[in-house]
Amino acid sequence: MSATLEVHGLAAGYDQSIVVRDLDLVVEAGSTVVVIGPNGHGKTTLLRAISGLIKPARGEVLLDGERIDGRPAERISAMGVVHVMQGDGLFADMTVEENLLMGAFHGASWRHRGTALKRVYHELPVVEEKRAQKARTLSGGERRLVGLGRGMMRPARLLLIDEPSLGLAPVAIEAVYAVIRRLHDESEAAIILIEENFTHIEGVADLVHILEAGSLVRSGSYAELSQDRTVVETYLGSIAEPGA
Amino acid sequence: MTGAFASLTAGRLGLITAGVVLAALFPLVYHDPYYMTIIVTAEIVLILNISWNFVLGMAGVWNFAQLAIYALGAYGSGWLMLHQTWIPVPVAIVLGGLFAAVVSVLLAFPTLRLFGIYTSLLTFAFAQVVQYVALNNPRNLTGGSYGYPSVPGLFPHLGQTAYLRAYYWVCAGVIVASCLAVAWLRQSHLGIALRSIRDAPAYTAARGVNPRAARVAAFGLSGFLAGIAGGLYLSFEQSFTTNQMGLTPMSIDVTMLVIGGIGTVTGPLIGTAILTVIHTQLINYPGWEFTVLGIILLVIVIFVPGGLVGLISRADRRVRSWVAEGADAEA
Amino acid sequence: MTEIVAIIANAVVYGSIYGLVAIGMTLIYGTLRILDMSQGSMVMVGGYVGWWAMATHGINPALALVLAFVFTFGLGTVTELVSVQPLIGRQKSVDFEMVTFITTFAVAIFLTNVALQHFGPFQQNVPSIVGGNLELYNRVSISYHELTMAGISVVLMSGLGLFLARTRWGLAIRAVAQDLDAARSLAVPVTRLYPLTMGLASALAGVGGVFLGALYFASPTAGDLPLLQALIVVVLGGLGSLSGTLYAAYLVGLMQAFCEVEFGTTWTLPILYTAILVILIVRPNGLKGSPSEARL
Repeated sequence: MSATLEVHGLAAGYDQSIVVRDLDLVVEAGSTVVVIGPNGHGKTTLLRAISGLIKPARGEVLLDGERIDGRPAERISAMGVVHVMQGDGLFADMTVEENLLMGAFHGASWRHRGTALKRVYHELPVVEEKRAQKARTLSGGERRLVGLGRGMMRPARLLLIDEPSLGLAPVAIEAVYAVIRRLHDESEAAIILIEENFTHIEGVADLVHILEAGSLVRSGSYAELSQDRTVVETYLGSIAEPGA
Repeated sequence: MTGAFASLTAGRLGLITAGVVLAALFPLVYHDPYYMTIIVTAEIVLILNISWNFVLGMAGVWNFAQLAIYALGAYGSGWLMLHQTWIPVPVAIVLGGLFAAVVSVLLAFPTLRLFGIYTSLLTFAFAQVVQYVALNNPRNLTGGSYGYPSVPGLFPHLGQTAYLRAYYWVCAGVIVASCLAVAWLRQSHLGIALRSIRDAPAYTAARGVNPRAARVAAFGLSGFLAGIAGGLYLSFEQSFTTNQMGLTPMSIDVTMLVIGGIGTVTGPLIGTAILTVIHTQLINYPGWEFTVLGIILLVIVIFVPGGLVGLISRADRRVRSWVAEGADAEA
Repeated sequence: MTEIVAIIANAVVYGSIYGLVAIGMTLIYGTLRILDMSQGSMVMVGGYVGWWAMATHGINPALALVLAFVFTFGLGTVTELVSVQPLIGRQKSVDFEMVTFITTFAVAIFLTNVALQHFGPFQQNVPSIVGGNLELYNRVSISYHELTMAGISVVLMSGLGLFLARTRWGLAIRAVAQDLDAARSLAVPVTRLYPLTMGLASALAGVGGVFLGALYFASPTAGDLPLLQALIVVVLGGLGSLSGTLYAAYLVGLMQAFCEVEFGTTWTLPILYTAILVILIVRPNGLKGSPSEARL
């Protein structure tokens, strides 16, 4: 059985500069992989290259064994790749409900949008409260939740989540990660989560990769990597020292 | 003079000099007045195009008022020629150019605040206002739709052949001078500043280049040249109507620039030459002429965006690398 | 009092013309971020369709309107495929706007001259949609044709608004206008959406052309003035803002009506253009515009 996502020798970037270089990654169905790395080293570029928003310069990306690199983003999305973008990628002048509905835009999902909407509102009551408000009027945390909700409006084979905790207050981050934990537990999708540090990913990460200078330099379970001093010091999360 | 002409090999320099010499000798052997008139008119249009290319292509500013500036140069120098007859005509033309430059500079200021496409609308609106005002001929300054009255002109006493030749040489002189100036400016601080503003505005600001000054300078310089072209046209044709700044000549000029290659030094030459030829062939079929023009414009922009100059330089590079490969293989 | 009635009546008529002609341009700018210079020619084509249908073939007005809509829809779609689609993704956004300005301008030149070749430079009479006049006050009258035009204009613009607000594809168009990447990542087929948007916009202009034809004749250059008028309105309202365009359309209509009654028609357009110049100097993004946000 092939993994949901396989990336071989990926190189990608913008204009003349290559940001991701020679990257290999495998993600199995139902598992959640977390990619940690400093800013500017290629985390967002990696996700954008997978979802097709940028075209890879080299390498292969395979979804359930089928090559998707080089295809336009809208086609890749139609194949079941859901990309929850950095910031939130919400349509600022649309209401929350309209944003969610756009999550179900694709053919078959559109027909079931009513059910999907009910389901998302059930999972995220905060979002339901604000359903008629324009997205621009929501707080950062609420918008992030709407973004996740939008990603939940249709079935996904592969779910890409870009820095969900970025710029949020701790309470908001808690709420966001509660949702992510539920997705990890209940969804059959392969999930790639990228974050800048280790702070919140315990319990969510099946596998952790460290991304530096465009390539994956270390991999392991959360337990392994969080014991490693150099890793912990570089990616200073809040892994408390015992007795500190 | 290193920078501007560094790309000129001895071979190219030779070719250019030969071309200039041939062009200079041309009117001594060719006499047909009908075609000579067309050629001189084309020269004047070329001067205008060179000026427009500078601000549109090299500075990357969406300036669609160039023809109005050109007209203002004509009206300005015309007024001087008619009412201030103590000023020698060449000086009047230069002063007309200065007047056009001043107006152009004034126009530059509001564009500094505007987002790209709004600049095109602002300059377009300005051009429309100028055209309407000119049509209404306030205080007889513009001659309205009948055109500007006859002016003394540069060579009022020459016979036809000599008249045509004289204008040919004067215009050719202006063309050569402006091409040299543009080539030099390209390599100068101003030129580099303009290109970096065009290509990477945020980076430029961070590097301390003053984009406003550069843009105002670009407007001013191109306005000056356009104004001179206007004065030359009025002097040569002995008339200037508001049609000269309408949508029709604008579409023709844009096509000339695009065909040749916007932003290149030789682009306007090639584009003007080719379209003038097409124009003379189709002059009796205005409908067809412009249909063809529309198609050419579309095709070139989509398939040959660098214009013919871009095409030639790409071909040239390919040939040279092919030759270099051959040399490597043998080494 | 007579003056006021005349001004208001004319303002409503002009406003609806401007609305029909400009709304398409705003729709296109909002989604494609280009200034479509072929919108004027779509008005011209609409006028010819109206003439061909009603004058030479005796087709009834309602059907003529539908024909104009369908024909210019198709033409707009083809225009997009030929003059915009090949350029997408090729260059930096600022260059893209300039280049498409030129390519759509080229299409306009092409269409105008095909019409010139085919129909000659003559002005053709386009029959009114509805005959007769309504007297308003003290011999100020408005024709039923103009009333219908105002009415249809309002219907079309509301229809567009509903389409954008309530339907799947309307939602998609707004999504593309507000955040292209997000829309693509939600499987919105932008390559199909662009021609559709431009077709829709051109169709609106085409319908406007049928109405305008009765007021100003159908001729190859019938699209030139509407293009300039659309530019004025769109800039004033703020590029990409539908509500802004609507306000601007009636505002400009009012300004034109006022100018005509007070100063006569010769100076109206220069005054309007000067108004644009002033507005752009004072408010560089138009009355309601703002470059980083789309408001479709």
